Amino acid sequence: MSAVEAADGARPDHDDPSAPRQEPTPRRQRKRRRGRAPGDPGNIGWLYVLPGLLFYVLFTLAPLLHTVYYSLFSWDGLTAKTWVGLANYSEAIRDHILLIAFAHSAILIVFYAVVPVMVGLLLTAALTRTAIRGFRFFRTTLFLPQLIAGVVIAQAWTWVYDAQGPFNRFLELVGLGSFVRPWLGDFTWALPSIGVIGTWVTFGLCMVLFVAGVQKIPLELYDAARVDGAGAVREFFAVTLPGLRNEVLVAFVLTTINALRNFDVIYNTTAGGPGNTTIVPSMYMYQNAFLFNRVGYAAAIATLLAIAIFILAGIMLRIGDRAED
Amino acid sequence: MRRRLTGFTFIVAVVLVAVGVGVSYGGQKTTTLTMWSYDNQDPGLEPVLKQLSKEFEASHPGVKINIVFKDFNSLVGTVPRALASGNGPDVTEGNEGYQTDAQLVKAKLILPLTKYVTKYKWDKLYAPSTWGMFRWTADGKSFGKGPIWGLAQTGQNVVVFYNKKKIQQAGLNPNKMPQTYAGFEKMLATLRAKLPTGDPVIEAGNKEGYGFIHMFGGIWGASVKPSAVRNWIYHVPGSSYNTPGTIAALSRLQAWGKNGYLNDDFNAVGNDASAGLFAKGKGAMWIGGDWDSTIIKTGLGAGNVGVMPVPPGPSGQWASIGGLSGSWHISAKTKYPDLGAEWLNYVITSTRAKSLMFGQQQLPADRSAKPPTNDPYLTQDYNAFSKVANADGLLLYTDWASPSMYTTLQNQFQNLLAGRTTPQAMAKAVQDDWAKFDKTLH
Repeated sequence: MSAVEAADGARPDHDDPSAPRQEPTPRRQRKRRRGRAPGDPGNIGWLYVLPGLLFYVLFTLAPLLHTVYYSLFSWDGLTAKTWVGLANYSEAIRDHILLIAFAHSAILIVFYAVVPVMVGLLLTAALTRTAIRGFRFFRTTLFLPQLIAGVVIAQAWTWVYDAQGPFNRFLELVGLGSFVRPWLGDFTWALPSIGVIGTWVTFGLCMVLFVAGVQKIPLELYDAARVDGAGAVREFFAVTLPGLRNEVLVAFVLTTINALRNFDVIYNTTAGGPGNTTIVPSMYMYQNAFLFNRVGYAAAIATLLAIAIFILAGIMLRIGDRAED
Repeated sequence: MRRRLTGFTFIVAVVLVAVGVGVSYGGQKTTTLTMWSYDNQDPGLEPVLKQLSKEFEASHPGVKINIVFKDFNSLVGTVPRALASGNGPDVTEGNEGYQTDAQLVKAKLILPLTKYVTKYKWDKLYAPSTWGMFRWTADGKSFGKGPIWGLAQTGQNVVVFYNKKKIQQAGLNPNKMPQTYAGFEKMLATLRAKLPTGDPVIEAGNKEGYGFIHMFGGIWGASVKPSAVRNWIYHVPGSSYNTPGTIAALSRLQAWGKNGYLNDDFNAVGNDASAGLFAKGKGAMWIGGDWDSTIIKTGLGAGNVGVMPVPPGPSGQWASIGGLSGSWHISAKTKYPDLGAEWLNYVITSTRAKSLMFGQQQLPADRSAKPPTNDPYLTQDYNAFSKVANADGLLLYTDWASPSMYTTLQNQFQNLLAGRTTPQAMAKAVQDDWAKFDKTLH
């Protein structure tokens, strides 16, 4: 959510990042600034954000800091904690299962973020060239997976991938019977199979973002491109893609975060197996906290995961800012 | 004015008396006890516990039993914190072993049952060696010794269910099943040769990871001493998983996979689901918990199913993975421990409880219970359990040995069956997990 705000708000805030802290007279303020409501007296803004801020501090910031605090202890979650300093972290960076888990996350980012953004762009490009009948219907249908609970998605796909399930039946039908396998129980294919679920869930979101974004692009630009003799490909790279820069950024940030904190789908399809082939940091964190009674270590994993997400989101937003300048 | 006032007072008095009576009537306090259970299988124990609780309420006016069913993972994952919060259940199931029960004991969340064992003569319920699974020292470190903290309702055993028709079609006699492990292996090979290629000899389901943990018990018990396995689970010093006997048994299991005895989608099929497939005619055998016997009976018909433990190795001692069902505990924070114990006594030891359990094809843990004579299918189940229990061959559950043992075994068995690890490497990996946890106990 913060990513959306940051990406959307990037433009107005750029003028004056220290806006709320200053206390100029309302009149001067109105003269100097675009986009401020008339008569908005500086500090009262805090009052408006107070309820939201309170919730944020109480339910996001406080638990986050609590987690960091727990990560400095050896703790079973019930009996007395023992201070261990950074020992959990030094164990974590040497833990090869955690390393594998992060590697799996990297692979999932391809399926959850890269592929959906590309598919979304492709569909959007096609839509800007031709009008499709029943477009609203498709848009709604393709967005639908976003609205379904992860557990339901996992159950549905478990059935699709079943050894006797529709996907294998389809393969047999088109003469690819030799590819039939229990997809989610296969050491090689379980992770890509989960990746495909991710693509299916997120590409609708990307497409809806992009299609909405395209409508902001002035038609004159397209006309100009066509007058200049640009073909579909040239038009896409010269007009559509630059015009969608912000949307692409938001889509990337949202889907990458989705990929990194994936838990519900994995827990309900493979629970990290077979072997450790689909283990991801959040699954490993769950195992440590609730199965192995190692809450401190789980908190350290959670903190590392949060740091990874912050860094990745930061890099993406930085890239976005730079492209704008 | 005065008269009116008197009238008013009168009315107020009447109202007050009425309210007062009402209060004293409605105020006869109801005592509510909350119980948590993961025995949510139906057919299974859920209807038994519900019915018995209703009867308990009827014989105890003013007592309400609020029994809550959850699935295993969500109960085990939440019960320690629920008990610690003070708003948790009064009586609950935990799970034997270091992951759950040790935690509950160590954090002083449950009561030792010593007082009630004497009061209700519970010591007669199980064989003396069976009590080990409920014994802990108060620091939660030593398993198998110390006071008794739990009590179980049913006996559980991992057995072979076989499809008599298919055995017969393969030219074997389903009424003369092998009585030695070597004979059993020979039978598997014959079945593989005779069954159609797509049909597994043993239908397996390991999606949750416990399928192979359970299936392995029979092979394991044929090549190691059951007491050695139990000692390992109890962390008796010097115990090891990394022994020639265990490695030989792991090699046998791996060979079952290599020889094509198992369906190749075992990692994608749930354990209960595989029982369901066997019941629909897939495979000649299913090796798993006898608590699924009703699923199998419903599909194949009682007359067409045989039940037996995997037969013993050279020692002749029958053995299998099994023990008693989840351990019931009384919360250390409950206001009504005596009432909780009385409820436990009713749902576990009463004649009524035992007959209801048998009615659901469950085996009461109370060893004095006898199955109804008119149910040969249930009798087979019962005989398989008592054969192993009487030989002191119940291996208990391997995952009790450390909090992470379930995950380690699940992982290792999947790798072993996929040919991605060797029996030697697996034995070492499992022992490493054990040793790492063992260090925290001393």
